[in-house]
Amino acid sequence: MTSQLNRVAAASAALLAGLLLAACGGGGSTADTTPQVKITSVKVFGDSIQDSGTFGYKFTVQGADNLIYAERIAANYGLALCNFYSFTGTTFVANTAKAGCTNFSIGGGRITYTGAGAGPTNPLNVGVQLATHASLGSFAATDLVIIDGGGNDAADLVGAYLNIPRDTAAAYSALLGTLLTPTQIGTALGGGATTTAQIGATYMTALADKFYNAIKANVLDKGATHVVVLNIPDITYTPRFQTVLDSVALASGGGTAGATARAQAQATFQGWMTAYNTQLAAKFGNDERVALIDFYKGFQDRVNNPAQYGLTNVKDPACPRTGVGADGLPTYTFPTCTAAALSAAPPVGVTGTDWWQRYAFSDGFHPTPYLHQLTQQLIAKSLAAKGWL
Amino acid sequence: MKTKFLFAAVLLASGGAFAQSAGSFIVHAGGAQVSPDVDSTDLTVPSFVGTRFDVKKASAFVGGVTYFTGDHLSFDLSVAAPFKHDVVGAGAIAGTGRLATVKSQPISLLAQYRFGEASSSFRPFVGAGVTYHHLSRSKATAALSGISGGTAAMPTTLAMKSRLGPTVEVGAAYNVTRDWSASVSVGKTLLKTTGTLSTGQSFETSLDPVTIKFGIGYRF
Repeated sequence: MTSQLNRVAAASAALLAGLLLAACGGGGSTADTTPQVKITSVKVFGDSIQDSGTFGYKFTVQGADNLIYAERIAANYGLALCNFYSFTGTTFVANTAKAGCTNFSIGGGRITYTGAGAGPTNPLNVGVQLATHASLGSFAATDLVIIDGGGNDAADLVGAYLNIPRDTAAAYSALLGTLLTPTQIGTALGGGATTTAQIGATYMTALADKFYNAIKANVLDKGATHVVVLNIPDITYTPRFQTVLDSVALASGGGTAGATARAQAQATFQGWMTAYNTQLAAKFGNDERVALIDFYKGFQDRVNNPAQYGLTNVKDPACPRTGVGADGLPTYTFPTCTAAALSAAPPVGVTGTDWWQRYAFSDGFHPTPYLHQLTQQLIAKSLAAKGWL
Repeated sequence: MKTKFLFAAVLLASGGAFAQSAGSFIVHAGGAQVSPDVDSTDLTVPSFVGTRFDVKKASAFVGGVTYFTGDHLSFDLSVAAPFKHDVVGAGAIAGTGRLATVKSQPISLLAQYRFGEASSSFRPFVGAGVTYHHLSRSKATAALSGISGGTAAMPTTLAMKSRLGPTVEVGAAYNVTRDWSASVSVGKTLLKTTGTLSTGQSFETSLDPVTIKFGIGYRF
């Protein structure tokens, strides 16, 4: 009996030890960051929120580890970005300081650029950035393309619309005229306030068509199979346009009448952006090569639910204002808005050096590095759902 | 597959009974499938509204010893080779693919009551006890890093706490020969745990796994 029990004990011990050993090897949590799709290059086209340094700085708080969302997405694939273009002070040239850069985005970029130096070859037109890449070659299956646009176009349209009383709709007509016929514009502006506002949506729909056509011709028809396109974020949520809306309220006498005018104006502008976003979504349809990011709703969601996203301030720009622009709105100077400078100068009543890190806005129109991170997470969610990350 | 083969081989054998009487010591081995029934809280902020997780089922080899203190009462100590469970997103992050794998190694100690006579070839049983789920070696994916704001250089990892929970089971054993037997059982463990991301957010979840176990045993 004793020997039998010994045998039992030995057999049991061997079995248990074997299984326990199989489980051993440390309890640490690790990560295998190999994405599901092999991406060897991230190519970026768009405007300031994606600009890696065309002007020598980024359109956010300056700092070595203050990555913008496109750079964060690239980092998810183990890659880094640098600016394809450099600004000479008058024009944009190839970045000669660093070779092989694939971020074509330029601060101030638009789907239709109409400012100083406007022309069919100016890379401030995002379509020109796309065409420039297309002229250099096709995309590979290992390329991830990130494209944004339309935010500055929407801002231009809002500015021109609000200027109607002062310039008899000259700027508004001129901007509409870049995509619409004189007959369309004349009928709308002659039809009263309602049709004057509505033509803005028609313009934004045409703008979406224009952008889609540029992306199709220069990206989708050039072999790209992993394309991220962001729609227009709700720019009325930015501090800059909150100030603009406040001035609309003030111009209507403030109080209830002012609040009504403010709400109407915001609804009009949101209607324009929604027209663009709806058209863009319709154009891309269910193209499996495209991940269309609902930046509009994602951005609203973050500003409306700051605590959920760890934001401490969604109203005030973190950078100090350094002047007032011709439009009466505050201006900011990104090159001097560094992480160190902000940490050294907390607002009155605030202590600590990290006070600005969970702010949403760096200046009146651009995100902080943290809001960039939240945007990267929004994009990553779509990439993961696509099976690309 | 191997388990099924052995199971069939044992069923095909024939012989007398008495495998399950007082003093019997049975060493058993087989396979099991653990299917968690997950109910996770939302991930704490900052995160997408309604970010939740799900843990998928997994299979592994199990083994253990059963000691009969009487003709009806037995105690069973079982351990398993690690189950490798996929952790996926739910709620706001549903459909984002595998976010991590986590290894679970359950160790259970159950008291079992066997119906029928010690000499019966077919003996149903019920059991109750505790199971300790050792959760370790979780490996997060690029998707988890991306969704939570990590990068390839500083990836997000997921840690899940090991926990003890009560277990009940029902099963039946078939005594093929005097020494060889086969058994099948279904157990349910009530288990709550906490998952923590290296980015600081956490979630509470019940795993409440259902375990289906097949095994063959040999009496010493």
